[in-house]
Amino acid sequence: MSPAPHAPLFVREMGLPARFGLYVLLCLFSLALDARYSALSGVRTGLNALLHPLQIALGKPWEWTQNTAGFFVIHGELTAENSQLRRQMDLLRAGGQDRQALLAENERLRGLLALPSRPGITPIVGEILETVPDPFSRKVIINRGASNGLSPGWPVVDAAGLVGQVTRVFPWTAEVTLITDRDQGAPVQNLRNGLRLIVSGQGSDNLLEIRFLDMHADLKPGDWLYTSGIDGLYPAGIPVARVVQTEPPRNTPFARALCQPLGGVGQYRHVAILKPDPAVQAQHAAPPAKAAPTAKHPTDRHGSR
Amino acid sequence: MARAEPTPEPPLLPQGAELAAPPTRTKVYASLALALAATLLPWDDGIRWLVPDFTLMALLYWNIRAPRLAGLGAAFTLGLVTDVARGVLMGLNALAYCAATFVILMVQRRLERFDAPRQAFQVAPVLLGKEVLVLTLGLMMGRAEADWRWLAAGVAAALIWLPLAMLVDRITGRPAHPVQHLP
Repeated sequence: MSPAPHAPLFVREMGLPARFGLYVLLCLFSLALDARYSALSGVRTGLNALLHPLQIALGKPWEWTQNTAGFFVIHGELTAENSQLRRQMDLLRAGGQDRQALLAENERLRGLLALPSRPGITPIVGEILETVPDPFSRKVIINRGASNGLSPGWPVVDAAGLVGQVTRVFPWTAEVTLITDRDQGAPVQNLRNGLRLIVSGQGSDNLLEIRFLDMHADLKPGDWLYTSGIDGLYPAGIPVARVVQTEPPRNTPFARALCQPLGGVGQYRHVAILKPDPAVQAQHAAPPAKAAPTAKHPTDRHGSR
Repeated sequence: MARAEPTPEPPLLPQGAELAAPPTRTKVYASLALALAATLLPWDDGIRWLVPDFTLMALLYWNIRAPRLAGLGAAFTLGLVTDVARGVLMGLNALAYCAATFVILMVQRRLERFDAPRQAFQVAPVLLGKEVLVLTLGLMMGRAEADWRWLAAGVAAALIWLPLAMLVDRITGRPAHPVQHLP
C-alpha cells in the first residue's frame, strides 16, 4: 500500500486553470486532427487492439448466461421451428431453381449483348459484436478485421439486402456504418425503369431517404431500388430499399422520397462482407476513378484506396 | 471522534476513519478500472442511452476525495480510452472529462467536507453538463443530428450517484459524516 500523496508543502506546478487550459488545447488539437485529417488512425488502431480482448472478456459472462438460458428451450418450440424451417427450405428450393434458370438466361442475354459477366465477389461471413454507443451515428462492430483481409469501403449485406459499408478496420474487428447513418449513401437504380438515384440514411432505424430528387423523376411508392454498381464499390444488383412515399418539393427545388431498407438493418447478428475480386477492382481502377459520392466517406477519411 | 466536536479550524491531518483508511493508489486506480470496465460492458441496445457514465462518476468521486491521485491527467487518459472504445472522435470524451474534473477541482475543498447527499446535489449538474457538452461538441464537429435521448444518461448518473457514493464510502472507509467546517 503506497501512501497517498498529500498536497506538497511548496507548490511548484502550474495552477489549475493553466493545466486545464493545456489539456483543453490538447483535446481540441486531437479532435481537429481526427476529424479533419484522420491522422490518429494509427493510435486508434493500437489502442483498439489493446481494448478489444478486454471488451470480449467482459462480454463473455453475458454470453454464457445466454447460452445456458438457450439450452433450456422447450422442446415444442424447437419442433415448431423445425417444421417452419422445413417449409421455408422447400420454398427456397423452389426459388433457387427459379434463380438458376434466371441466372442461365441472364448469362445468355449478357453474352448476346456482349457485356462482361457479373464481377466475382467473395462473401466473408461475420458476426455483429456490438453497436457503437454513439448518439450521432449508426454503426456496428463486427468480428472480422484486418487479420481476415478486410479493408474499408467493402459493402456489407445480409440475406435480404444491403446493410452497410466497412468504414474502419482494426486488427480483429471492423466498424460497419449502416446505411441508416446520416452520412452514409448508396448508389441505386430503380428496378422498374433503371432510374439512377442515391439513397442515404436519415438517422432513423427503418427509413432511408432520397434527398435531392428531381421533381419530375419517375419514382412511385412500391418501387424497388437495387444497387447500380456504377461506383465500383457496391456490386450491382443488391436489393437496398423499397420506396414508401414520395414528397413533392416544398421549400426546395427538389423532391424527396422515403424508402424502407430491405436488409435487416439492426436486426440480425450475422452479416456477409462482400470482398471484391482484385481483377475486377483493377478493371475499375483503370479509368480515372469516377467514384460515386457514396464512396467518399471511407476514402477521404482514411485514404486507403 | 472528530465529528462530536466540530472545530472551527479543520485539522491539518485527516482524523479518525479517514486516517485509518486513506484513499490509496490501489483503491483509486482499481475502482477507476472497474468503472471503465462497467462502461465497456456490452449493454443492450435498448437501454444503451440510459446507462450512466460510470467512468466519469468514479473519476469525480476520486477528484473530490483524492485530487492528487485522480486529477486532470487521469481524466484525459480515461477520456481518450473511452473515445477509442466508443469509436467517436478522439478527444471528445477527453475534453468533457477534463472540463468536469476542472469544475469539481475548483470546488473540491468544499465538496470534500460534505456528506454523500449534499455532494450528490452539487455533482448532479456536472454529470448532466458532461452529457450536454458531449452532444454539443458532436454537433459542433459537424454531425447533423444528435440523439437527445442520451441526456437521460446524465440524469441516471445523477440519480445513482447517492447510493453508489454511499456504498464506495462504506467500502473504502470514508466516515459517513466528514468534518463539517462550521463558520
